[in-house]
Amino acid sequence: MNEREKIVLDEEEIPKEWYNILADLPTPLKPYIHPGTKEPVKAEDLAPIFPMELIKQEMSTEKWIPIPEEVRDVYRLWRPTPLYRAFRLEEKLKTPAKIYYKWEGVSPPGSHKPNTAVAQAYYNMKEGVERIATETGAGQWGSALAFGTCLFDLECTVYMVKISYEQKPYRRVLIETWGAEVFPSPTDRTNSGRKVLEGDPECTGSLGITISEAVEDAATHEGTKYALGSVLNHVLLHQTVVGLELKKQFEQIDVYPDYIFGCVGGGSNFAGQCYPFVGDKLRGEKPDLQVISCEPMACPTLTKGLYTYDFGDIAMLTPLLPMYTLGHDFVPPPIHAGGLRYHGDAPSLCKLTHEGYMGAVAYHQNEVFEAASLFARTEGFVIAPETAHCAKAAIDEARRCKETGEEKVIFFANSGHGHFDLGAYDAYHAGKLIDYEYPAELVKQALANLPKI
Amino acid sequence: MKIGFLINPIAGLGGSVGLKGTDGLVEEAMRRGATPIAGERAKKCLQEMEIDDSSIILTCSGAMGEDAVLSNSQRYEVVYSFAGRSTSDDTKNACKRFLEEGIDLLLFCGGDGTARDVYGVVEKEIPMIGIPAGVKMHSAVFAISPKGAAKIVEHFVEGKAELRDAEIMDTDEDAYRRNELRMKVFGYAQTPYEPVLVQQGKSLFQSVSEERAKEEIARFACEFMLDDSLYILGAGTTIQKIAELFGLGEEKTLLGVDAVKNGKLVGKDLNEQELLQLLENEKEKKGNQGNQGNQAKILVSPIGAQGFVFGRGNQQISAKVIEKVGVENVIVLATPHKLSETPFLLVDTGSEELDELLSGYMSVISGYRMAQRKEVRRG
Repeated sequence: MNEREKIVLDEEEIPKEWYNILADLPTPLKPYIHPGTKEPVKAEDLAPIFPMELIKQEMSTEKWIPIPEEVRDVYRLWRPTPLYRAFRLEEKLKTPAKIYYKWEGVSPPGSHKPNTAVAQAYYNMKEGVERIATETGAGQWGSALAFGTCLFDLECTVYMVKISYEQKPYRRVLIETWGAEVFPSPTDRTNSGRKVLEGDPECTGSLGITISEAVEDAATHEGTKYALGSVLNHVLLHQTVVGLELKKQFEQIDVYPDYIFGCVGGGSNFAGQCYPFVGDKLRGEKPDLQVISCEPMACPTLTKGLYTYDFGDIAMLTPLLPMYTLGHDFVPPPIHAGGLRYHGDAPSLCKLTHEGYMGAVAYHQNEVFEAASLFARTEGFVIAPETAHCAKAAIDEARRCKETGEEKVIFFANSGHGHFDLGAYDAYHAGKLIDYEYPAELVKQALANLPKI
Repeated sequence: MKIGFLINPIAGLGGSVGLKGTDGLVEEAMRRGATPIAGERAKKCLQEMEIDDSSIILTCSGAMGEDAVLSNSQRYEVVYSFAGRSTSDDTKNACKRFLEEGIDLLLFCGGDGTARDVYGVVEKEIPMIGIPAGVKMHSAVFAISPKGAAKIVEHFVEGKAELRDAEIMDTDEDAYRRNELRMKVFGYAQTPYEPVLVQQGKSLFQSVSEERAKEEIARFACEFMLDDSLYILGAGTTIQKIAELFGLGEEKTLLGVDAVKNGKLVGKDLNEQELLQLLENEKEKKGNQGNQGNQAKILVSPIGAQGFVFGRGNQQISAKVIEKVGVENVIVLATPHKLSETPFLLVDTGSEELDELLSGYMSVISGYRMAQRKEVRRG
């Protein structure tokens, strides 16, 4: 039975509840802090920009939260996603280890993002919201939300970093195809946008500006709310549909992983895949399970960051979150794994890492693409540069097992395809990728020298 | 637009017959059967160059320019004539004429010696591009090929080019007389380059200008330099920018090696002995205080077209000095553009053992709180 290459569940086996890890944490998560009052954030503070049901989920410590049937119905379009045994990769590596991956690239936008985009669109629709405003860098999240909102007949406004809008059009075309409106940010539609344009009419935009524009749009328009694609508890919660399916799939073949690897940008993808297993560890059932976040050397939040309160955005509009951070003003270098270019990480994932339940590793981008190429040449799938970080970790671990002869079970979260990232593969093939890294020691020295506020 | 154009007809003559340069050795090179190559290379560049009639090439007579321009379609005018065999003075005088004519760009064909002559007159006033034809080409004003030079001129004329600082380097004649081959930086010229839009990450990033990149590096350096370590500052405009932002103003010598501690300049244009003495004093001082912590750090930027971190243009920071400071206290800084120009960096400290230690992968500061991993090899 466990010789199957692809473990597929029936549609009826799509989970009926999401798993909330906050219920299993040994100590409660520290609260978000209001940037103005410096008091813990209350539900009503978030009400202008999020629907109440999502705010409740954000603050809930209930272990199981029901997935609405309407959301499960949409999930059926691509869920349950297949779990693969990477026989060809194992053979190539000549490893005694068993490598598995769950493939989220089968969703319409091509990644895990719609798992939460669909749910967020649904709750907004239920509460009578007419339009959702959001930001997107080059379009991964924007396209997922455009897909989600179009299924529930909501309007969607996406503020897209101008230079991406103009020069990397394919995700923008996806967003428009799903019926959302996209504006190159900074725009003249918001005060924050106008202010930027006054200072610099030629400004090519940044994620920080797009966030400010989307939040302002939501806060100043009746019937409009804002949506975020990672970091927050409710986003991670929605993603656990992946890990819960995965558990059933492993049960079906009577396997339990020794190692779980996933890439971490804001943390929602990996949390979604691993939290149901981390729960086992927290309850003492699987003490030896290794759960490892994989991140870029260029933005090594978990491996080199500081565990403290920091803003979620560069514009300091968000609440202060307890997390590992490189500083909200840190602008990560232009690596191709754009989804991993975030200065902080999800608070729950940071807490679990800080307390030793989870580990973290960081890689340079050339070695990551080398792993992605090996994966493409054995398993066939051309994966996203973000995803390739954990493929690299899985391959390294499998190689280690070859040395020691251990028959470990290695799992990695194969979160999306790389069909819009072929330019990055092209640059890798041409030997043009720069290995950026974060000068952690010198930054530490710099921070120690700075005057304390 | 006015483009000044000159050829050093004898540049590169010595190379093919095994001479280390051509300066003062023309007769010997000819005797050994050398054939002039500069004219041909210059011609090749002009053939590749597509500029319209709104631009004019101002050049010199005969082998110093006109011979190469003649066969092409570009509009030109001879503004300097010479007789007999052209000399270094002709190069300089031609440059003076160009300045009088108000040129916007100077295109020359030659080697390091020619670059030095041109720079001696033009300095930073007019941007320059070198068509590579010499024996020695360490200076960073040279394009990678005649065709490469043609493309840069086109971009400049179309207003698409930006300017960056480029080292003018040549052999140190004093050292040469002592039978040592040493490279020296004579100054920093301005040279055009084409900023590229790099498609990296999920969004696009405009490559930042050299000046902006230097400022970012300097801003970071100023943050970590606030501890009480002794900082030895190498040569070059990147390090000079750090000194400027650090509040040392014009005090930092551009071509020399200086030392800073607690925000103050404690040594200027230091030679190897002075550096060693300074380090010795520092060690004693710290020792007296019972402080075994960081004593000193070296801040350097790669120099010249080949990207030497040590061994070219900053030999004051010798193997002895580096060993005393410790390899782990060497901080290399370079702009992304500079790093993109060389596949790896080079070291040639004169000590094989130390070069070995410095080789491998190094984290090079390339922006504000940002670094790139770069390979370092023995030069």
